[in-house]
Amino acid sequence: MIICERKPIDEIKSFIAGKKKVLLVGCRGCVTVCNAGGTKEVEILAALLRLDAQKDGNELTVDEFTLERQCDPEYIDELADLVGKGYDAILSMACSVGPQFLSRRYPKEQIYPSLNTCFIGGALAHGIWTEHCQACGNCVIHLYGGMCPVSRCSKSIMNGPCGGSSNGVCEISKEVECVWHLIASKYMDEGRLSEFAPIQPIKDWTKSRDGGPRKIVREELVK
Amino acid sequence: MVIGGGIAGIQSALDLAEMGFFVYMVEKGPAIGGRMAQLDKTFPTNDCSICMISPKLNDVGGHINIEILTLTDVLGVKGKEGDFEVKLRKNPRYIDMSKCIACGECATKCPKKVSNYFNEGVDTRKAVYVEYAQAVPLKFSINDKECIYLTKGKCGNCKKVCPANAVNYEDKAEEVTLKVGSVVVASGFDVFDPTVAETYRYSQWPNVITAMEYERILSASGPFQGHLIRPSDHKEPKKIAWLQCVGSRDVNRCDKRYCSAVCCMYAIKEAVISKEHASDLEASVFYMDIRTYGKDFEKYYNRAIDAGVKFIRSRVHTLTPEPNGDVTLEYIDDLGERQSETFELIVLSVGMTPRANLPRLAESLDIDLNEEGFIQTQPLTPINSTRPGVFACGAVNEPKDIPTTVMEASAAAEAAGRVIAEARGTMTKTREYPPERDVKDEAPRIGVFICHCGINIASVIDIEDVVNYCKDLPFVELCTNTLFACSADSLGKIKDAILEHKLNRLVVASCTPRTHEPMFREALAQAGLNKYLFEMANIRDQDSWVHQKEPAKATQKAKDLVRGAVAKAALLEQMYQTRMGLTKEALVVGAGAAGLNSALSIAQLGYPVHLLEKTDVLGGNGPKIFSREKDVRGYVAKLIKDVESHPLIKIYKNTVPKSSHGFVGNFETKCLGPEGEFSISHGVTVLCAGGHAHKPNSYLYGENPNVLLSLDMDELLATNSEAIKKPGQTFAFIQCVESREPERPYCSKICCTHSIESALTILDRNPEATIYILCRDVRTYGFREKLYQEARSRGVRFIKYCLDCGKPEVTAGPNGKLHITIKDHVLNRPVLIEADCLTLATGVDPTPMREEIVEVFKGQLSAEGFLFEAHMKLRPVDLATDGQFLAGLAHYPKPLEETIVQAKASAARVATILSKEYIMVGGVIAVVDPEKCAVCCTCVRACPVQVPKIVRNETDPALRGHAFMEPAMCHGCGVCVSECPGKAIKFQFFTDEQLLAKVEAMIVEKKAKPA
Repeated sequence: MIICERKPIDEIKSFIAGKKKVLLVGCRGCVTVCNAGGTKEVEILAALLRLDAQKDGNELTVDEFTLERQCDPEYIDELADLVGKGYDAILSMACSVGPQFLSRRYPKEQIYPSLNTCFIGGALAHGIWTEHCQACGNCVIHLYGGMCPVSRCSKSIMNGPCGGSSNGVCEISKEVECVWHLIASKYMDEGRLSEFAPIQPIKDWTKSRDGGPRKIVREELVK
Repeated sequence: MVIGGGIAGIQSALDLAEMGFFVYMVEKGPAIGGRMAQLDKTFPTNDCSICMISPKLNDVGGHINIEILTLTDVLGVKGKEGDFEVKLRKNPRYIDMSKCIACGECATKCPKKVSNYFNEGVDTRKAVYVEYAQAVPLKFSINDKECIYLTKGKCGNCKKVCPANAVNYEDKAEEVTLKVGSVVVASGFDVFDPTVAETYRYSQWPNVITAMEYERILSASGPFQGHLIRPSDHKEPKKIAWLQCVGSRDVNRCDKRYCSAVCCMYAIKEAVISKEHASDLEASVFYMDIRTYGKDFEKYYNRAIDAGVKFIRSRVHTLTPEPNGDVTLEYIDDLGERQSETFELIVLSVGMTPRANLPRLAESLDIDLNEEGFIQTQPLTPINSTRPGVFACGAVNEPKDIPTTVMEASAAAEAAGRVIAEARGTMTKTREYPPERDVKDEAPRIGVFICHCGINIASVIDIEDVVNYCKDLPFVELCTNTLFACSADSLGKIKDAILEHKLNRLVVASCTPRTHEPMFREALAQAGLNKYLFEMANIRDQDSWVHQKEPAKATQKAKDLVRGAVAKAALLEQMYQTRMGLTKEALVVGAGAAGLNSALSIAQLGYPVHLLEKTDVLGGNGPKIFSREKDVRGYVAKLIKDVESHPLIKIYKNTVPKSSHGFVGNFETKCLGPEGEFSISHGVTVLCAGGHAHKPNSYLYGENPNVLLSLDMDELLATNSEAIKKPGQTFAFIQCVESREPERPYCSKICCTHSIESALTILDRNPEATIYILCRDVRTYGFREKLYQEARSRGVRFIKYCLDCGKPEVTAGPNGKLHITIKDHVLNRPVLIEADCLTLATGVDPTPMREEIVEVFKGQLSAEGFLFEAHMKLRPVDLATDGQFLAGLAHYPKPLEETIVQAKASAARVATILSKEYIMVGGVIAVVDPEKCAVCCTCVRACPVQVPKIVRNETDPALRGHAFMEPAMCHGCGVCVSECPGKAIKFQFFTDEQLLAKVEAMIVEKKAKPA
């Protein structure tokens, strides 16, 4: 899923400075699952903004609404009536797809992102998420013991480890595990080190970002 | 009948009552709670003691099948097992329990101050008193030896001021005779009085105190409200010493041969907690052997060392007072040097002694005491007294810690229940209710009762004003005041009002729901209303008591509190607990001593048992053990025979569990046996996966035939081998082999006693033998200490080593001899021992349980690989999942007698479930709205007891699934509710709507009734 994190409260406050009526829009998709933008987080942010306004003596109305998803126009449409009531700012609590879809559908509104979209990953445990994919468009993890060197190696090198791997951690930080250490250890544990040895040819990056913004068209699905 | 209202008696009584028996609990004092109520924190979890026991006190106090007889002495017991007549004397309380509302007015006005024994005499209380704030029953009593009126006929203040007219100076002692089937003695212990050990000058100097006094000083409800100050000048001590073994292991001055088993741990705990009170505090513990032998005890000890607690191996010989109240200790250190150090406070780690009245009690019960003055039991029947039908549990038969006490208490319940198994359910009471009125479609009609609580509330709060105010609150149909809402006549009025005014919600503004909510809910049920349509406002504890000096504001606050309660009440919904049937059969996994005992006891209580054993033999380690004190092999052989011949036990050999699902009352486990896979339906599970002797990689084990493990030596002794009878032989034992080291940090509890028993047996058969035991701390806790004394007196040489100064080294010498080099701690130089035989005490490893047990039954393993019980102190036999229990080595290493106790305890715990005709599920639990669920797994991960699961959508499997909490499993803690990112989980009775309405109403005053 897409892992997001709420923006610092001061930044969000700066979006709505001087505004009187604000709508927070949550999303029941990835950001609910990663505890960043579901109904509960919308409630919390709304409460924070209200308290803050009260503390500073500002007049502020904060309305809340959570959509099924913000990455499909049909759901974005559901907001039409509410948006019609007139808001000074609409804060999306989805990944950055959400505020973009909102902006396109409601071009006159002032739309702000209240989350930072961080990476594609998963939850290791409650409250801990790690990056597992960089959407390179050409998955090769089967060549690396089921682990992704593109997203999980600091240098994204395809033939590692580099000289910066020490005791299983990356030279950039003791908090970053060296995926190449994990890959090599896995092959060693399985007694398949010889399969690990071949040098991989240069990866085909044409399907990654280097070809500009990407688009998929499935002819059979398009009417 | 259970004699004693401490934690042992409480556990026994609750188990027996839940098993379907009516229980009389006899307590000699005015309230139950015992020693545990006095403790501050408990080791090794640092949990607050009173917080743990308080819910249990309320369970006992409110149990329909337990009658508490306080201030009662046992005079005599006639009859026989199954048919006893117990003569009791109920001493006068001088307070009518049915009238006393525990307002405390009497104590406030009582002029007589006396030493407060609950606080160990550190402060004073009045002659009319309750022992402590959480006491059950929470009723005052007058001590007739202290009361001025009762001794001199003057005063009478309390009678004058009592608003409930509860004082009765004419109260008389009364003798009653009760018929009971069995008796459990759980009368506990006395704290050793160190006055007799004059070295310590306890009675002379105020800053030499007992550990029990120290517990009260640390306690937030103690004499200093939890401020750590010393008695003499109320100065905060910065340097405290604990002196161990005061009144224990001291024949010379104290006439106590045994080890009190708990003092090392409590001293370490007190030292650690003291350092939490003041981080710059210096804490030193003077000890002989550190006996941290229980589960997680060694870890706790290591943490204390890391936290800077100093441990000094020495028995302090001289204490000298300093003019400023400090005390100087003189002692000889490990190297024989004389040292002296000054401390600001000395805590004597006093041991446990038999209760002063135990000889008289034993006489009236006609049971024997042992030579130490505790109740006589036998190693293989550790809870049976010398009289059939009379059982003893807890510190009344040997000093022991709380978890072991709780296990024994459950085991005693099993034994006491078994002898009267046929009478189960015949004496118990059940509550009958009229049919419930469905009020779902009715608009709220709220009745509000505002309690005066005598003058407790009314003297501060203007009740009349509050009543008038509340009449106009939304949905309030009736608002009235009542002198004592909790009195029987008031409850009757409440019931009448519900019927007369067609009320469908009730609010009582009085005291705390902690003690009173069940009573009011009961009144609702009796009036035909769903019991959850009730809300309380605590205008006493949270208002009149804390705002006595500001009556106007307190009255305003009372209005706010009631307004909040009314707002919540309007939104209350009917909730139903549903009855769910259960399979009255048990599954026991593992057929060692634990599994066999558990299976046999469960079967003897009348329930079918499926006993799984993965090998083709029963008995586990039992047949390998030799003991000088008891015939273990004969015992296990008989146990196997009894199990095999019991008609209710089905044994499955060579069978392992593969998968299990379900919940309490309704489990289904797939097993794989010699004939393939099959399935067992059962209501409860007992896990007894056991353990085995650790095989070491050191000291030439496996290389030299003369290096044995403890069980190998047992085999030689059991077969009466000639190999140990040769003249001039030298035997050595090394303790803590690969134990209590960083790689395997726990203590296996049994090895010190085991090696000493082996050594003594060798000496019995080969008196000329030379025996060395190389050890670290000798951990012969409880009465096992006597074996240690015997070993030393008969010439067994104990040489102590430590990890820092070097472990022994073992090499093969000429002529098959073993050369063992160790640094002698007295000579401070290496000595060489030429031994013919070396026995390694390697301790116990748990059976690897991850795949076969934990993955199948969803338990949790500790870092050492033992199963985690539900609560270390008070639920040592239960697993976190309801309906699952454990016993034996899978829990932690323990001697056979403790395994037997735990296994029998598991049978009692099992019977508390299987004796029911149905289980009630639902109520205050978490419920998922599948529509809102994002299937994010947050609840699955957040739940402390692993209840939530992601399940398929039942109406349409193609749809997304959702989280689901099995109502029978949910504990109602609310963690998932607060974590759910989609707000998809509702916490019944505490919904967001209800709580927000309550909070909003309390903050914002809305006066007018809605149109």
